[in-house]
Amino acid sequence: MRKHILLLALLFSGFSLQAIQAQTTPAHALKNITIHNADGSVTESATIVWRDGVIEAVGKNVTIPFDAFEIDGGDSLHVYPGFIDGFSTWGSPEPPRNLPELDNPGDPPYDRAGIQPERKPSVLLTEDKTFEAGMKAGFTSAALYPNGYMLPGQVEVFYLAPATESIGLLKENLALAGSFEPAPGGWGNGAYPSTMMGVMAQFRQVMFDATALQQHMKYYAQNPEMPAPKRDQVLEALFPLVNKTTPLYFEVDTKEHIERLLKLQDEFGFSAVVVSGKEAYAKSAELKRRNIPVLASIDFTEAPDWYTKMNKAEESDKEDEEESSEEMEEISEEEQSYRDKRIEAWKAEVTNIKKLMDAGVSVGYASAGLELKDLSKKLEILLDEGGLTESDAVKLMTSNTASILGLGNTLGTLTKGKNASFTVFDKAMSEDKAKVLHSISNGTIHEFEGN
Amino acid sequence: MKKLIILFVFVAFGFTAEAQEKGSVLIQNATVISITDGDLEDTDVLIRDGVIQEIGKDLRAPRGVETVDATGKYLMPGIIDAHSHLNGVDINEGRNVVTAEVTMEESVDPNDVGIYHALAGGATTIHLMHGSANVIGGQGETLKLRYGVSQEGMKFEDAPRTIKFALGENPTRVHGQGNGVQPRTRMGVEQVIRGHFDEALDYKRKREAYLSAKEQYDRRGRGTPPVPVAENLRFEVLNDIIEGEILVHCHSYRSDEILMLMRVFNDYGVENYTFQHANEAFKVAPELAKNGAHTSVFSDWWAYKFEVYYSTAYNASILNANGVINSINSDNNQLLRTLNHEASKVVRYGNTTVNDALKMITLHPAIQLGIDDRVGSIEEGKDGDVVVWSGHPFSIYSKAEMTFVDGKKYFDLENDPDDMRIQINPGTDFEDGSNYREIVSSRDEDACMQDAFILFQN
Repeated sequence: MRKHILLLALLFSGFSLQAIQAQTTPAHALKNITIHNADGSVTESATIVWRDGVIEAVGKNVTIPFDAFEIDGGDSLHVYPGFIDGFSTWGSPEPPRNLPELDNPGDPPYDRAGIQPERKPSVLLTEDKTFEAGMKAGFTSAALYPNGYMLPGQVEVFYLAPATESIGLLKENLALAGSFEPAPGGWGNGAYPSTMMGVMAQFRQVMFDATALQQHMKYYAQNPEMPAPKRDQVLEALFPLVNKTTPLYFEVDTKEHIERLLKLQDEFGFSAVVVSGKEAYAKSAELKRRNIPVLASIDFTEAPDWYTKMNKAEESDKEDEEESSEEMEEISEEEQSYRDKRIEAWKAEVTNIKKLMDAGVSVGYASAGLELKDLSKKLEILLDEGGLTESDAVKLMTSNTASILGLGNTLGTLTKGKNASFTVFDKAMSEDKAKVLHSISNGTIHEFEGN
Repeated sequence: MKKLIILFVFVAFGFTAEAQEKGSVLIQNATVISITDGDLEDTDVLIRDGVIQEIGKDLRAPRGVETVDATGKYLMPGIIDAHSHLNGVDINEGRNVVTAEVTMEESVDPNDVGIYHALAGGATTIHLMHGSANVIGGQGETLKLRYGVSQEGMKFEDAPRTIKFALGENPTRVHGQGNGVQPRTRMGVEQVIRGHFDEALDYKRKREAYLSAKEQYDRRGRGTPPVPVAENLRFEVLNDIIEGEILVHCHSYRSDEILMLMRVFNDYGVENYTFQHANEAFKVAPELAKNGAHTSVFSDWWAYKFEVYYSTAYNASILNANGVINSINSDNNQLLRTLNHEASKVVRYGNTTVNDALKMITLHPAIQLGIDDRVGSIEEGKDGDVVVWSGHPFSIYSKAEMTFVDGKKYFDLENDPDDMRIQINPGTDFEDGSNYREIVSSRDEDACMQDAFILFQN
């Protein structure tokens, strides 16, 4: 009896404490702003209210709660849903250099083979200035994985913050990362697998080994009289892939590599997400049929100089025209034919995302190695030459990516009940020199004024 | 060109068999080098939907079928190269002594312009091989040179599986001297093969015992379950070799190591194999014939390393005279374009008959790859892989004028643009990308050792 009362009292105090806390967490309200929604619509003179990292209200006629800390945008600020990087190594430790010599390069330890599916970014995250740079570019969350080789580790989603210790884990066990990258060490100190065909074979072998270990553990759990399994954290980290409960986020670009990934998928039945996928358009029908999304790279090849010049000349006055036509005359037929093919290849690359979207493939965004300093330049190509509108691009980097990551109910749009992750620009993003003033990540305001 | 690219883009993975283009053509009034039925003067060959339907005189072209007037010209079966590294993405998985689990099937670059250059030399089928860095290297892939299709579409449908073995200096230098692991000597090479075969047999026994015990346990749900034995890709392939499901193509030079491998294979019951290069095979020609072993040699290339000094241009002729099925191979992208010249040297040096020499680049490599029911001669029912030559293919003045694969024309001298690349890197300038015609690669390197030379330095 006495125990019961004590328990009750405890419960009570617990409840009340929580209630009080909830009461005292103030709301934030950002009013008189222009909201650029993920669906392409724009709401002017809008207000957004959030508390505890959750959006409470958003729109034109919003009542601001009495306890809200108000910020007035003065009708000059532009708010976008936070961009999401669908696949990035921000904060990852660098792979080790000066690898020790192996006794038998044909049978290296797992880490030297590039097989490290047990690694988690949440454990390994290091200081990285890119986090702040990413927020200044409009990103508020990112799917991160550790830098590595064929199976570099797990993919987890984080809320960004400028300081690494403040970065918050949003979702673990999202996926395993993979690529056709052979074992490190190069010519001097490499190991098996040292080729793509070796990676294909070794991928299969570790899947077989994981299957056997899992079977052994299952048997052993019920039959302790049998020999105990030799536990192995690397193989155990592959169980979700063997059991098809976790997708494989696989970085591939060429059509042939995508076909090789599909072959592995046929053999093991895991669900896959193509990351980077520069030639994914060439497999769009197949990707759609298999329901494989693409987290696309926009790390486009730079347009040829002559093409850029030609475009500029077309835009400017007739004065320049003479000059450019003179230049054209110097080209041999052979070179002209090469140029035609080259520009065809370049256009195929920059319209990849558009073609995938048109084919009905789910496309999101992944930096996949693109440096942030190049982001605006590449986005410009995507809009000017890639056939995407600005709202397409916003959607690509917000709601599309969120839904591919399985976080569509939390991230990607600015609606009631969703996570308060968005970015405040001083002008519309499409305008020249648009700058990020504030980044709100999981409800926390980070200010970048003066930068 | 554009059509090629579009085709290329829309060939769906897994559905290539349907998507593959087969052609129909009637070639008239040619001297048909049938290989199996002598040379047929003023003869027509009708190919329909990729297959040779009729060989005869005054054949009529069915409606819609193109005709080619080959009066004064020669028609021969497409040349087959039993040893090529033409369009491999990687050639050597050179970090382990035995890599039977890797396969060139997964290392095919269908966009290599060299495929087109090979077609221009009258070649229609190649055996894309793993390199010779390892004692037991990777599996090979037999490809038809259908330039412009996907990697899947290039595969020679239902061709038997093959695998590369390598004896002598290459594996001992890469692994023994390079990495300090067995084998360092020719004795070691033999033990690597025997050791791995034994291990594979042992694995098979254990794996099968596990699977049957598991099946019983899962069904009955009583007793003690078996300790799982993981599927092992490498040992599975080695067992397939022992069971005769995979044709072995073994890089070898010296007669003693050739005899060694035949002894080993006799011990394990391996029957279908071809010695590649085999510069000293002439010394053991009767033994090769007795064992039913095949050879695939160079016409006259040697002295590029110590174990290849004892050689002769009579090698192919001696093997042929002893009843060994022998082919002439290229192992080189430039030589692949002139394999007719290589075969003609066998006539010049060793007085082998013209037809026998022609067999060495057609029917014999087909036999060695297990595809002689489909290609290698001009016979009704075989694939429409044929080449129109301006003159006899053994004349130095003759040119391949048209090359057909499955009845579809992939090369036409009349319509032969300079730049036949199907893959253009948008980042490559004209000045850097204009070397696409530079197809004559130097001969001072052993193509078998591509990617693996550097391993010697370790």
